[in-house]
Parts: sequence; C-alpha cells; structure tokens
Amino acid sequence: MPLVLATLLSATLQGIAGRIVRVEVDVAPGLPGFTIVGLPDAALSEARERVRGALRNAGFHHPPRRITVNLAPAELRKAGASLDLAIALGILLGSDQVQASPGRVALIGELGLGGEVRRVPGILPMCLALGARGVRRVVVPADAVAEAALAPGVEPIPVADVAEAADALRARRSRRARPVALPRAGSPADGTGLPADAAPDGPSTVAVREATVVDLADVRGQAVARRALEIALAGDHALLLIGPPGVGKTLLARTIPPLLPDLDDAAALSATVVASAASPIPVVDLVRRPPVRTPHHTTSYAGMVGGGPRMSPGEVTLADQGVLFCDELPEFGRDVLEALRQPLEDGFVSVVRVGRSATFPARFTFVAAMNPCPCGQYGAADRTCTCPPGVPERYLRRVSGPLRDRIDLWVRLDRVPPEVLLAGLEPEASAVVAGRIAAARQRQRARWAETGSGGRLQARALRSACAMDVATEGRAIVLAEREGLSGRGMDRLLRVARTIADLAGDVAVQPPHLDEAARFRSPVDRMAMWRAG
Amino acid sequence: MLGIGRRGPLGRADAPEVGGLREAGVDDGPDGPVPWPASGGAVLGAERDAWIVLAGVSGVGPVSFARLVAAFGSGGAVLAAARRTGAVAALVAATHSPDGGSPTLAPSSAAEIVAAAFDATPLLAPVRRSGVLVITLADEEYPRRLRRIDLPPPVLFLYGDPAALDRDHAVAIVGTRRPTTVGRETAGRIADAVGGLGATIVSGLALGIDAAAHAAAVRLGTPTVAVLGGGHERLYPAAHRGLARAIAAGGGAVVSEFHPDTVPTRGTFPRRNRIISGLADATVVVEAGARSGALTTAAWALEQGRGLHLVPGRLDDPAVAGCLAFLREAGPEARIVSGIPELLVDLDLVWSPATSTTERRPGAVDGPSPGGTSLEAVLATLGPAERAVAHEVAAGRGSVDELVLATGGPGAMVLVALTRLEVRGLVLETFGRYRAAGPLASANAAGRPAVRGPHLSLRCPGLASRVLVYSYQFSRGAALPTSSHSESTWA
Repeated sequence: MPLVLATLLSATLQGIAGRIVRVEVDVAPGLPGFTIVGLPDAALSEARERVRGALRNAGFHHPPRRITVNLAPAELRKAGASLDLAIALGILLGSDQVQASPGRVALIGELGLGGEVRRVPGILPMCLALGARGVRRVVVPADAVAEAALAPGVEPIPVADVAEAADALRARRSRRARPVALPRAGSPADGTGLPADAAPDGPSTVAVREATVVDLADVRGQAVARRALEIALAGDHALLLIGPPGVGKTLLARTIPPLLPDLDDAAALSATVVASAASPIPVVDLVRRPPVRTPHHTTSYAGMVGGGPRMSPGEVTLADQGVLFCDELPEFGRDVLEALRQPLEDGFVSVVRVGRSATFPARFTFVAAMNPCPCGQYGAADRTCTCPPGVPERYLRRVSGPLRDRIDLWVRLDRVPPEVLLAGLEPEASAVVAGRIAAARQRQRARWAETGSGGRLQARALRSACAMDVATEGRAIVLAEREGLSGRGMDRLLRVARTIADLAGDVAVQPPHLDEAARFRSPVDRMAMWRAG
Repeated sequence: MLGIGRRGPLGRADAPEVGGLREAGVDDGPDGPVPWPASGGAVLGAERDAWIVLAGVSGVGPVSFARLVAAFGSGGAVLAAARRTGAVAALVAATHSPDGGSPTLAPSSAAEIVAAAFDATPLLAPVRRSGVLVITLADEEYPRRLRRIDLPPPVLFLYGDPAALDRDHAVAIVGTRRPTTVGRETAGRIADAVGGLGATIVSGLALGIDAAAHAAAVRLGTPTVAVLGGGHERLYPAAHRGLARAIAAGGGAVVSEFHPDTVPTRGTFPRRNRIISGLADATVVVEAGARSGALTTAAWALEQGRGLHLVPGRLDDPAVAGCLAFLREAGPEARIVSGIPELLVDLDLVWSPATSTTERRPGAVDGPSPGGTSLEAVLATLGPAERAVAHEVAAGRGSVDELVLATGGPGAMVLVALTRLEVRGLVLETFGRYRAAGPLASANAAGRPAVRGPHLSLRCPGLASRVLVYSYQFSRGAALPTSSHSESTWA
C-alpha cells in the first residue's frame, strides 16, 4: 500500500465569508495516530472521531498509521465541520484506498458516523469563494446542491455519503453541468429562500413569522405613523415611534414585511449569503423577500453586531437589505445601542476581537419604538404621567444624541379616539402602500444608481437631488428658522422631503413636501431651540 | 413697615429675617423718605468712583448707601471720612435712622469701607476690566421707572443698550424655573404679543418662564432686559450665557445692581426682583408654584404701585398654586389674565373703547378689540385645505386622526396644512396634539360670553350677570329676553 501525500481543497466559514482551506493529509509509517494541525476549533478537532467512524461504516478502513492533517493557511482559524469530507477523502487517497488524480476539486460537508454527508451552514459563501478562485467542481452534500448552484461559476456535485464522494473523485470529469440560472423574482418559491416545508427560521432566529404579519387595512387611525412608515420604507429613513403602551406601535411594526418590495439580484445574493451562513437548514433559492428582524431588548452586544467564538453575524447583519425593528428602544443596553451607529451610518459593521476581525454587511432600515417615559403616559392626552420630574427627559436621553441624530422620522402616537376607531373610513391596504413604496424606490434607483437610496444621501448630493426652485428654497429656510434647525436637521428635512416627492412621483421637491416633512421633526431639535433661546 | 426679604414686601413681619437682611445689604427702611442727595448733575470722576466703591462693599444696600451719602455730603466725603481714625464707629453711627432706630450698617461692612477708602483698586479694577456700563442714580440716563421705586439701586451695571431700560412701555414676564410645556409656550406667546406692540420685555434670565420670555423677545427682535441676581462675570445660570449675549446684542440690556464679580446667593435674587418689577409698568406672572420666587416679584409690583397680572391655571395644579393663592389673597389690584387680547388691553397696550377700563394712554395702538376678530376673517387668508383643518383645530380636534376623520382628507394633506398653520402661528403642537393659537385662538375666544356686549363692565355684578345671560341665550339662538325677565331672575 503505497503511501502518498494527498492534497484537497475545501472551505470554511469565517463570519459570513467563505475561506478556502487546503487540506493536506500525510499518511506516514509509525505509531498509529491522528493529528489535525492548523488552528482547528473544538468542532473541527472532533472531526477525527467522525472521520474514523464514517470511513469504517462506509466500507473503507481507517489505516493504522501516523496520520497528519494540515490545514493551510496555517494562521486562519478553522471552525465547524465543513472540512470533514475533505479530510476523509484525503485519508482514502493517501492510503491508496481510492486511486484518483482529482485535479482542482473542492469538497465541503460534515460526516456522520454512518458515512453520510451532511449540510453545514454557509455552503453558498464557501462556494462563492471557491468560484471566485476558479474552482469549478465542488462536492457538496446532496441536500445543499441548490444552494451551491447559486454561486456563479460553480458546478456542484451532490453526494450523499463518503462512497459517492469517492466515486466523484474517480470520475475524470463530471458530467457537463448546466449553468444554473438565478431564479427570478416572482418564481413560485415564497421568496424566503427556504424550503416550503421548513420552519421559516431556526430556534436561534427571531424573524417576523408570516402568522404575525398584519395588513395595514386592519390598522385603524394612526394616520401619521402609517405615513411615516411608508416614507421610512420608501426612502430607507430611520423611524422612531413614541407613544404610550397599547397604542399600536408593535402592531404597526408587524405590517412591515408585506410593504417591502422584492430584492434585486445583487441584494438578493447578499441576503442569501447571510441566510446561508446563519440558517441551520439548506437554502434552496435566492432570498427575494427582505428580512425583518425584531431582536428583543435583552439582546447582547455580540448578538446585535456579531462576534462570539465563531465570529457569527449579529442581528444587524441578519437584517441586511431589510428592516431592523427595535421595540422598547431605551431598554436596550447602552453599548448595544451605541453599536447601531456604525451600521446606520456606513451600512456595514466591523467586529474586532483579539487577533481576528470581520466586516459584516448591515444595510437595514431602522425602525424603533419606545414609551415616552418609564410609566408610559408622559404627554398622553387622557392620562397623567406618574414619573418624577426630569425622568421622562432622562428616559429619552438613554438613546444617545448621536443615535438620535440618525433618526429622520419622529412620530408621536397617542390613543386613537373611539370615533375614529368606529368611523366608516376604510384604511388603505398594505398592497396599495407597497405599490407606492416600490415605485418610489424605483425612482430613487434610477436617480442614484451608484449612491443607494435616499436615507444615505449626504449634503451636496442631497441638495442637487432635491432640485428645489427659489420658492421651495425659501420655504426650506422659513421652516429651518422656525424650528431652529442645525445643518444636520436641515439635511434630515430635505432627505425626508425628497422621499415624499418620490412617493408623489415628483422630479423636484416642492413646498408641500417640505411642509409634510417638517411634521416628522425630532423633539430634540425643539429642545435645542429652547436652549439656544 | 417696609422690608426686603426673601418673602418680599408682603412677607410676614414676624419672620426672623434680620440676619439675612444684613447679609443681603438691604434692611428695614426708614419710616420717612430716604434722604437722597439732591440729584441734578451727573456724578463725575472721583465721585463716581466713590459711588461704585460704596455700592460694591458687601453689606451696603440702598438704605445704608443713602444715609452715608446724606450724612457726609457725597460719596467722596464718605471715603475721606473713612480714612480718619475712629472711622468705623463714625460710619456705623451715620446710618442710624432719623427717628433713632438701630444703625443699618454692620461694623464689618464699615471696616470694609475703611479698607476700600485706602485702596479702592480691588473694587474698581473688576468693574473696569469687565467693561460694564455704569449708570448711577444721579445720571440723566437712570431709568425713570426705576427711580420712582422705594430703594432704587444707587448704581446699575449693564451690558447692552441703556436706552432699553427707559423705553415707553415695559412689561415684566416672570414665573417658575420649572414650567410645564404649556406654561413655557404661554410665556412665549405673551412675550410675542407684548413685544410685538413695542413694549420691552423685562425678566430675570432664570431657567423656565424667564428664558422663554427673553427668547421670544430675541426671536422677535424686540429689546428685552434681563436683571441679574449676581454679577455679570458670575452669570447665573451659566447655561444662559448665549441667551444673555443675544439679549445684549439685540438692542436689549443685561443689568445688575451688583459688581461684576459678585457671586449670586440665595439672598440676592429676591432683592433683584424689586428691580424687575421696578423697571416695568406691569408684571405678568405666568406660572408660579406655592413657594416660587416669582411671587416676590409680584408682591414688589403691587408695593411699587405697578400693574400685576397673573395667569390662572387648573385647580390643584402645583405649577400655578402660587398664582391662584396670590389672586385670592392680593385683592383687586392683582388682575387675572383671561386671554392674551384681554391682557393687552389691561396692559394699556391696546386701546379699545368697548373694553378698556382706563383712559386712552398715549402710544396705545388701536388694536382690534378682543373677541372682535372673527374666525372667518382669519380663515379667509388661508387655502381651502388649511381652512378646513384650522376650522377643526379651532373646534378642539387635537389629534391628526380626528382631523383626518373630520376633513376627510388624506393624512399627508392634513400634515401639510398643519405645518402651514403652525408657521403662521395659528396652531401649536405638543406631544403630537394640536391646539389653536394666535388669532385663531382669540377668534375662537370670541365665542366666550364674558367678552360679549359693548357695555360690559365687571365692576357692576348685576349688570355682568345680566349680560352673561344675554350672551348665553343669544349664542343659543334664543330671542333676547326682556330686561325685566332677566332682572327678575338675577337681580
């Protein structure tokens, strides 16, 4: 039995990015042993036991030799079980139980003790990394073949167990794989990218479930909040709903999912990568529906921005291309709230740990809700706040100034009067509003193909995008002086007015758009006005 | 018996305040008029410096100052006397009241005068360095209104324009440092209305109501006067430095009777309140709790024979407890503010033959009589959407949901209209609820019975109640009752 050095390609997941790993297996004479070197984590170290069992039960034997597995590059921390299959096949090649010269082929998969190949999270980002480096043939678990096929340039070879994987290596060339087209929007799939029979999300995720989605037609009153929600979702503005408990803040948040338009190809791929890395079940299709994440206020810092031993993505990344809804905003930890500033500004989040760092995409529309004070009744029309003086102000200040600065739309909600609840007015349905939002986003994309949507516009681009005439500019000055707006406040006003114009289908911002935008002003601006005198 | 204490002139005489009074430098006044030196010429040069020095000695208030100057003939003579042996005793003796009362000058203060007589630099240098303007009681520019009060400060220090102290009309607006949102807005509205008619707004630069009144005047561009409870270099509250600067830069004045480096203490603020009321024709108290310092100002205004107007509020509301108590206790001189147009008439800023209770005052404008502005006249200047929304806001619909329901318009239209009305000052927003303001509010007030009727006089209770009955029934569309019927019911 000639003993050779076997080299195979595989990949591991770092954060949400696939990293290519070269698996070198040396089966040498000497005392029997099995060593894995190259910074494996606990799950990977246990690969020795899985590989030994899988080889025995699949009809191969585990050679009683000195087996050394080197995972290159050596400085990269490897995590998870995605390298199991490559290690096992490396041993088979190295001990000459399989004769093949596989060439540039990569293997991804976790092994069961019976020899079966199982799906690991992050098949898509791994295949993307491999495809980017010109590795076309990738052996993947059979149930993840659709997910792997989403990576352009990759021909996935589905295998169910170790024996099939060995056959795949023996074959000189795979069957000529058909290029797999990206599924279009509107395909029969439900747009979640997950199998229809699967639970919408795993136990660790808190995405809004279909069952809890509410149609806007079922929300009576709250005209300002409805309008603000429409503007926020159309222009990617951060929205804060302030009101006493029970006025419908959470109900409004539940209307968000059907209001969001489908993702375009690039955004869908980005969202699918995140879903693939985070989901314990295989992704079968591109994620076309934007995610809506509703983390609880007890969420930890790492849970929000990402991190942990495996540099997992946090809620801000899971909400990428979608909406992050934070109920009871001031109850979140201070550092958790501060951590939201970077993604709100930049659209990504950097997680730095000793010796490791990762950058996750985090481009989401921020929607938050809070009570006006700890007792919840401050400023309510029909109740009296029982908080001591100064407490409501302090409660608002728990949300720091820099974060408040990034909130474009402030809405004060109050209990809906009974005559409004009982009135015969038929509220607009979600489908109508969603149509306006989609059209507005279309106009924005046409205008700023490169800069993104309205919420991100900076001062100069914003002024030119608003295309205001002299009368409109005069109106903006009147409003700014009345409100005592800072430069940032002015930008906020113009950004919101720009989106309102987009919703109305107007090319230029007109005075009525500014007038409406002024209603969503921040109470902080007004406080500044008092202070400045 | 006249006292300047923490409780003001209406403070209880048996309160043990003598120690505090000495500390504050003001004490029990003489029973006769204070013997002021004959004013007629400006105090110049060395004499002026002597006045500044004497006014800067802690423990020398207006009474001691006046008695010292009267006893020795001039400020310079006081200092010259202080350089002789046995000066402390002589100075103290000079402040005995004419009828043989105890001296008002403490020996420690007399010792300070002696020290200052030999080296005045520690007292004069900070005044020169800070660059404040100095106006003495002997100067022509000394504000006329302030000259007429008891115990006018002998020396005033100020930044800004001295002319602001002496304009034709001046109204003080004071109140609590912890106002409600509505109180703050009320102060701003009153300042807007009063300042808009050309009157100077006088207040104390404190947090809360004072700041709201000053800020409204600054925004309006009308001169406003801030009276400090300490020195200019020890501005309190420090957060109002920017506001103070804006006041001085906007044609107003920041004035104090204290040297620029005087640290404000508990005792200095009540003392300064007499200057606030003294600089104004009338004082308006917007919100004052039971123990608010604004009540001292109110008491001073009555003491000085100036007008006093108190804004009432809800019963049991601690924010206005002081105002309500004052209205009950102080008698008919303390007027109630029943609305801003009514206040303007009461202040004699607006003269209306129907409702003014006094002779027409020179300078008063012919304003529309309160309640004379019809709602329709205000609404005629608006577009249809704004008109519809304004109508509903004036009718008391406060939330956007109610407005959407009442006007039938889409939410966006209502929001646009509300901004337009707000910019015109016709509606105000608090916590997402709207209410009528400005002309819209007063037009709305036209429906109130109390201001109806050309011959209404509240001085005659029988007549007033008869008019009330007329107005009430008239507003219901009923025929006017015969006067005999009315009198049989109410007379």
